[in-house]
Amino acid sequence: MTTTESPPATSVRPPSARKRGVKPWNQRLAPYLFVLPNMLVFGVFIIYPALNGFNISLYNSNNGRAFTPVGTKNYRRLFTDEEFWQAAGATVIFVVAFVAVCTAASIGLAMLLTKPIRARGFFRAVFFLPVLLSPVVVGLLWSWILERRSGALNAILGAVGLPEPGWLVSGPLALGATVFVGVWAHAGFYTLIMMAGLQAIDSSYYEAAHLDGAGAWHRFRHITWPLLRPTTLVVVILAMIAGFQSFDFIYTLSGGGPLGATTLMVQYIYEHAFQSPIQYGLAAAGSVVLFCTIFALTVLNFLYGRRKESM
Amino acid sequence: MRRSTGTVIGAAAVALATLAACAPGTDFGPASNGSPPGHLTYAYFTDGPDEKVTRDLIAEFERRTGATVDLQILPYSELEQQLQGRLAAGHAPDIARLTNLSPFRSDLLNLSANGADIGDQFLDQARETTSGPAGETVAVASDLTMNGPLVNTDLFARAGVALPPKDRPVSWPELLAKAREVQQKSGSPYAIAFDKSGARVAGLYNQFGTNYFGTDGAVQLDPAKAAAATRLFVDLNNDGTMYRDFWVQSGTKYEGADDMFLREDVPVYFSGNWQMGQFDQEARFGWTVLPNPCAERCGGFPGGKFMVALRQTTNPRLAAEFVAFMNSRQAQEKYAEKAHFLPTRKDLLAEGVDYPRRDAEMDVFLDDVRRTDPAAFSSAYSPGMDSTADAVVDELAAAIVGRQSVPETVARMRTSAQEALEASIP
Repeated sequence: MTTTESPPATSVRPPSARKRGVKPWNQRLAPYLFVLPNMLVFGVFIIYPALNGFNISLYNSNNGRAFTPVGTKNYRRLFTDEEFWQAAGATVIFVVAFVAVCTAASIGLAMLLTKPIRARGFFRAVFFLPVLLSPVVVGLLWSWILERRSGALNAILGAVGLPEPGWLVSGPLALGATVFVGVWAHAGFYTLIMMAGLQAIDSSYYEAAHLDGAGAWHRFRHITWPLLRPTTLVVVILAMIAGFQSFDFIYTLSGGGPLGATTLMVQYIYEHAFQSPIQYGLAAAGSVVLFCTIFALTVLNFLYGRRKESM
Repeated sequence: MRRSTGTVIGAAAVALATLAACAPGTDFGPASNGSPPGHLTYAYFTDGPDEKVTRDLIAEFERRTGATVDLQILPYSELEQQLQGRLAAGHAPDIARLTNLSPFRSDLLNLSANGADIGDQFLDQARETTSGPAGETVAVASDLTMNGPLVNTDLFARAGVALPPKDRPVSWPELLAKAREVQQKSGSPYAIAFDKSGARVAGLYNQFGTNYFGTDGAVQLDPAKAAAATRLFVDLNNDGTMYRDFWVQSGTKYEGADDMFLREDVPVYFSGNWQMGQFDQEARFGWTVLPNPCAERCGGFPGGKFMVALRQTTNPRLAAEFVAFMNSRQAQEKYAEKAHFLPTRKDLLAEGVDYPRRDAEMDVFLDDVRRTDPAAFSSAYSPGMDSTADAVVDELAAAIVGRQSVPETVARMRTSAQEALEASIP
């Protein structure tokens, strides 16, 4: 047994707050006051609608009014709805293709547009321009181009003696067309991010590799790709979220047709929320499922990215 | 530091709890839209040419009564949601123009009890829809539309094919034979076109002796009769009479075939009287209107809008007076003439309206109103009509591409109609 002697009472004077380095209350509060406006906006326009959306998914709304609690009925209905599964399937195909093509295209374009080529500024503007267009305009523009009989694309194909397919009439072709138009509209933005990532790579790596006689492929594989991985992860996550949320340009391009082949989950939600009979509960349940899917995939992507970083 | 974090989280929780008070089912207290005395708000969507005449009529009402009316134009696609939101928040307009009454039944003002004794003056077929449970008038059928074939007379003339008569309907085979002959001789890509709309093909089903809904309000779609109409429609799409892509692509979105007609791609186009104003200005060729063709029966398919006053109004008598004024004989005649709508008043329907332009064509539509089976009106005014019409578009497209047989298509249409009805009735 050991005993310790208490120090004399007079020597137990606590150090002053200032001595411990603790700031006065008004200084401690200051950072929170700076973020408060953003937090309020975030709470009112993001957190509250999200929570309320979940709440609404537990109600049945006949014609959009007279809300009655129904528990998980909307979720059960959702998961037994053939149309929902068709939309979910189309969404998965669209997102996988969109993310893959967008990422590859943005890497390729970024590498091309960081090279000292002639009229580089012009080409950068050309590839970025679609990002500035309204998605509705993008959809309408391409629907005119892809129309089988009067569209510009088939007019060109016909003129050179090639077959003139119904781009928006056959399911697989229409889904392919929506992916293409989506990439066309979004790739400029991801290219910009990739260009920033490429410019952050120290040129001395390339110079050293060049001196060692490494070819273009080896330079890409052993320098560009590993150092671009964090940027690629950001692009993949952003493209994935954009893919899951795609609606406006598809609605004006194909209307979700033919026969629901390009109806993605957001359109399914839109149709149930805003077309008669209005069923807010079912639409909200669809939104919750979509949110959970995007959230889970984003977290997985981050975890995967972090693991790769630590390896 | 920990205490500050707790304070922030606490404040956020209080804010969220306050906001959550607006959860579904919240009682907003006694309904009142708070319009000051002598002032009305009118939620309106426009088809185009009707806006000017509506404003003129409002100005006349304001002159006569000293009241003021705020015309609030809403996009048609958002009308139902916006109105529901405003009703839920207790800020509904006093008056509204609607196409579907069923979502708002419990919100409609009893016009009869507020001095507007106007129930019996309008189309009998709409009476049941515009009446409340005790027979009181809660809405007025304010305008009527009629589907029908519009024809390019120049293409007929160029092909040397005589136009079918305008004073009596021909059969479907007769009309199709003529349209195909024009297609062949004039080189137009197709013979006929239908707007991509479940309401437009509803006319075809009606002519074949059945409707989506019957006069008893229940789903009708007689399997044999509906199958005959469906088979004809599918065949027309697959044998080159119609542009197949038009019905297959673009999902359930409504699409008018007016562009095809204006490009002279088709000699015969099934649409309705609301196209009169547009074609009068834009068509660079001669055109006219024919009676709907007959199969088992003749006639077309009606549509139209309703004018209602909402119970939340703080000026119920003025609101009822406004509805009565806007649907008075003089006002409705002016409205119909300027906007190329068909009247809903019995007196105007019986006597006809003298349209300053395209009077002969409007008379063809009016004659078709008289020929149309009453069950078509029940179907058009059914609460399940809108979503059934969307489902019909989908099912027909699936049949056209051969994904399902004609009997399967009809069976699926019936199921959709039943589901639509159940989802629409409170």
